[in-house]
Amino acid sequence: MTSPRRTATRRGRPLWMFLPGGVLTLLVIIVPLVLALYISLLDLDQYSIREWVGAEFIGFENYVEAVRDSNLVHAIGISIGYSALVTVGCLPIGLAAAIATQDRFKGRALVRSILLVPYVLPAFVVGSTWRIIFQPDGVANGLLGTSGLWLNGPRSFWALVIVALWSGWPLVYLLAAAGLQSVDATVHEAAALDGAGWWAKLRHVVLPQLRGPVSLALVISFLHNVNSFTLPFVLFGVPSPYDVEVLPVLTYVESFQNFEFGLSVAMAVVSLILVAIPMAVYLRAVRLDTGRGLR
Amino acid sequence: MNRRSFAVLASALLLGSTLTACGSDEGSDSGDNSGVTLTMLMGVNNIYPEQQRAWFTEVSDKFKQETGASVRFETFASANDELTKIQTSVVSGQGPDVYALGTTFTPTAYATGAFVELTKDDWDKVGGRDRFLPATLGISGPDQEHEVGIPFASRPFVMAYNKDLLTAAGIDKPADSWDALRDQAKQLTKDGTYGLAIGYADGFDPWKFIWAMTIQAGTPVVKDGKAALDGPNTKTAYQNYLGWLATDKVVDPAAVGWKNAQAIAAFGDGKAAFLPMVSASSKVTLDKSKVAGKYAYAVMPTIPPGATSLPAGGVGATSILSGDNVVVAKYSKHKDLALALVKLMTSEQMQTSYYKTFGELPTNQAAATALGSDPALAAIVESAGKSENTPFTGAWGQVQLELTNVVVQSIPDLSAGRVDDGKLTGLLGQAQTKAQQALDKAK
Amino acid sequence: MKARSEEVARLLPGPLRAVVLTVLLLIVLGPLAYMFLASVSSDLAVARGALWPDGFHIDNYAKIWSTTNLGRGLVNSVLVAGAVAVVSAFVALLSAYVLVRYAFRGRIAVLRGLLALQSIPGTLLLLPVFVLFASAATALGVTIIGTRGAVLITYLTFALPFSTWVMVTYLRELPPELDEAARVDGASPWRVLTRVIAPLSWPGLVVSGVFAFLLGWNDVLFASVLTNPDTRTAAVELQIFGASQEGGALPVYGQLMAAALVCAVPVVALYLVFQRYLVAGLTTGGVR
Repeated sequence: MTSPRRTATRRGRPLWMFLPGGVLTLLVIIVPLVLALYISLLDLDQYSIREWVGAEFIGFENYVEAVRDSNLVHAIGISIGYSALVTVGCLPIGLAAAIATQDRFKGRALVRSILLVPYVLPAFVVGSTWRIIFQPDGVANGLLGTSGLWLNGPRSFWALVIVALWSGWPLVYLLAAAGLQSVDATVHEAAALDGAGWWAKLRHVVLPQLRGPVSLALVISFLHNVNSFTLPFVLFGVPSPYDVEVLPVLTYVESFQNFEFGLSVAMAVVSLILVAIPMAVYLRAVRLDTGRGLR
Repeated sequence: MNRRSFAVLASALLLGSTLTACGSDEGSDSGDNSGVTLTMLMGVNNIYPEQQRAWFTEVSDKFKQETGASVRFETFASANDELTKIQTSVVSGQGPDVYALGTTFTPTAYATGAFVELTKDDWDKVGGRDRFLPATLGISGPDQEHEVGIPFASRPFVMAYNKDLLTAAGIDKPADSWDALRDQAKQLTKDGTYGLAIGYADGFDPWKFIWAMTIQAGTPVVKDGKAALDGPNTKTAYQNYLGWLATDKVVDPAAVGWKNAQAIAAFGDGKAAFLPMVSASSKVTLDKSKVAGKYAYAVMPTIPPGATSLPAGGVGATSILSGDNVVVAKYSKHKDLALALVKLMTSEQMQTSYYKTFGELPTNQAAATALGSDPALAAIVESAGKSENTPFTGAWGQVQLELTNVVVQSIPDLSAGRVDDGKLTGLLGQAQTKAQQALDKAK
Repeated sequence: MKARSEEVARLLPGPLRAVVLTVLLLIVLGPLAYMFLASVSSDLAVARGALWPDGFHIDNYAKIWSTTNLGRGLVNSVLVAGAVAVVSAFVALLSAYVLVRYAFRGRIAVLRGLLALQSIPGTLLLLPVFVLFASAATALGVTIIGTRGAVLITYLTFALPFSTWVMVTYLRELPPELDEAARVDGASPWRVLTRVIAPLSWPGLVVSGVFAFLLGWNDVLFASVLTNPDTRTAAVELQIFGASQEGGALPVYGQLMAAALVCAVPVVALYLVFQRYLVAGLTTGGVR
């Protein structure tokens, strides 16, 4: 009598299957990351970059300067704020799209592909187009009957949220749609037998099945937005207006325009830590890492 | 069995990836020049892209004839790309042999110490230092003993003005002081047209106005390693610049969101009388617009705000020293060939043909003199002669950023039609601190 | 029989579905329509913020092929992104299989680590990766920077954490009885993976592949430093085209928009083809 749910076994573990992924990750991500961490402890700027190995070791001075003298704290706040808003906003739209395209209808293939387009467009293109739309005398003000600035000042934060939402929701849609495919036919049969209406079936049977893919999508969406550089860069340019000074643009400017590499890496590391903590808490909460216990 | 099939599969994948991965190879280093390919990095010319590609081929062919080595050109799209390319090349010690840099970035390149400082011998190898217009050498290095930049092209800034609108208002030419220009603009602002077309949201223009006004007043924003962003003249400069829209109302209110391109478009539509801070590259667009044949170029005002003549200590600069310098990388394995390439590119013949194709003024003295008196260019040539270089410091990039940042953070108020005095002072104070920090770090 | 199961599996009533889809399509197609209109307008009109084109400049679509190297860029992009999609999906499947079906010390740590890797911003790694490749090139005596291989390896690695996670999520849903049955028949883990698991994990593989393809197709930061003019991807060509317009004369908005739309077409077409496999999913074979 085998215990039905026990999958994880210690016998005949093909751990070699880890090799390709592991080696690549080690070489291309871990090693550069360690290198970057080392750089954050150096006084690396345009004067020392040529012989960067010999740049002066200044310990945590970069970190102190990052937190105290720069706009880092403000930028982290803006980044986390807008990412959270966008992620929460993507959820209903993505789910609605996945559910609406699940049932077969004429032209479904085409609709499914069109709905994916905002996510597929390069961030640079999305940014350029929306920047033209958000011009003071552009289409946005024209259609809404408003006037004034969208790309600077208080409204700029909402402009960023709108554009990030528009281009980001298909991620949730994509993952949820694939998840819906995995819902067993027997589940539907059972619900029909119980005489459940469509809303009840959705709420109690289908949506809970999507918890895994959707949780993943939310995490990815949040991280993607926090680290998103191209979109705010193209929309608002540099220097950033204060209301949309997001973290990636700040570190980019520090690194690639001011040549302050050590400082910019220190900023990125601080933000990494600050993002990782709530992330870890969230993961624990939805038990994404363990997948609802050992299956 | 499983190991074997995995090995087969893996090798197939690897082979497949490698096949697609085979990119182009770099030039090899052999004894004679015939196997050598120099790489040169240059800004892409968005107005004449095909002509630029043709020019690349022409240069490579000529160079091959002369030396046996060929040249491969890489382009960068914007100032940001240029900086990134410099960084990746400097940090890894490999990359293009020769760079054509914007003049304002020459100090930053110099600060990395990665580019060849030209000795007298080196200058001779590019045809001699005196073959160049003296004014164009202003930003080649911190002083004459430590020059890295060889001037290649000159793109001074000027102002375009609508001849018809001025004549209709009884003005015969633009004023030579900022105050008088503002008064002229006020006269010209009526019936849906505005006096000035300014791109407040542009990332590159605004600081040049501030720089011009302060250097004309005798208090440049950076002098001897000290920043003067919180000085009274700097504040006046900003108040004037922002005031054109806020208080004088001589600029279209939509200009708070304009980049340089939209300002040109407005002028091209006949909706503005003056279009300051443009270079000869605007000629192509304007000649295709409604004002074709109805506009002309003039130098920008040289008398600072609040004055009627140039004050003592002030410099009557018409424009920043703007154009391209060529630098040679220290890591290059073919320095002499690189210098030979520069010599070819700065020869009278190549400079004249470059001007004819792209409209950028030559830095070669002989070519410049031969250009002589093309009336359409009179203002541009005059501006080239009266350009002043931006401060030669590795921290200039940050100072420039801070100058621009003050404008960016003032835009919300500007769009509400006002310049908040207290806020401006605060912004200038912050900018001063950051700029001085950067200057202090300079080595 | 099929109609009955479809009827049962229906999620939304027809009219509601129609409303939802209309709203979504409007949201999506609005800006896209503007892009198309802008691509056939004159540049001055777009700069002015006009909505309707003032003439039908369809020649913009012809001009882009000579103004930029879009053709070669597209070829490079297809090669690189395609390879990345295929290889990363496969490698992710390998890693995910071990993570889901086998226990070993540090398993949870690896899972968490994969997610942590997702939070690393690209700008942080850019210079170190470049230095790494340059040093390796010098040490091994080969050229790495400037080849398609450099971006391929980079994108592949960057796509792995997410791809692996996606595969983990889907593999978890597969009933372990399938494995057991196969293993009782004497199949090795490799055989179980290739014969039993892989065919059933198509939805996950497609999602992984699509995401990895997108990463390779749209990334600009790394491609711009790791490629040279011959091996540039379309995304970099587009970026260069756009950035080069930002100074001096009026940008060629029409051509910019045309080029942007052209760059988006291959990916959408690809999805059109592959989304059929998402449907096939678990209803073919497997547990009934």
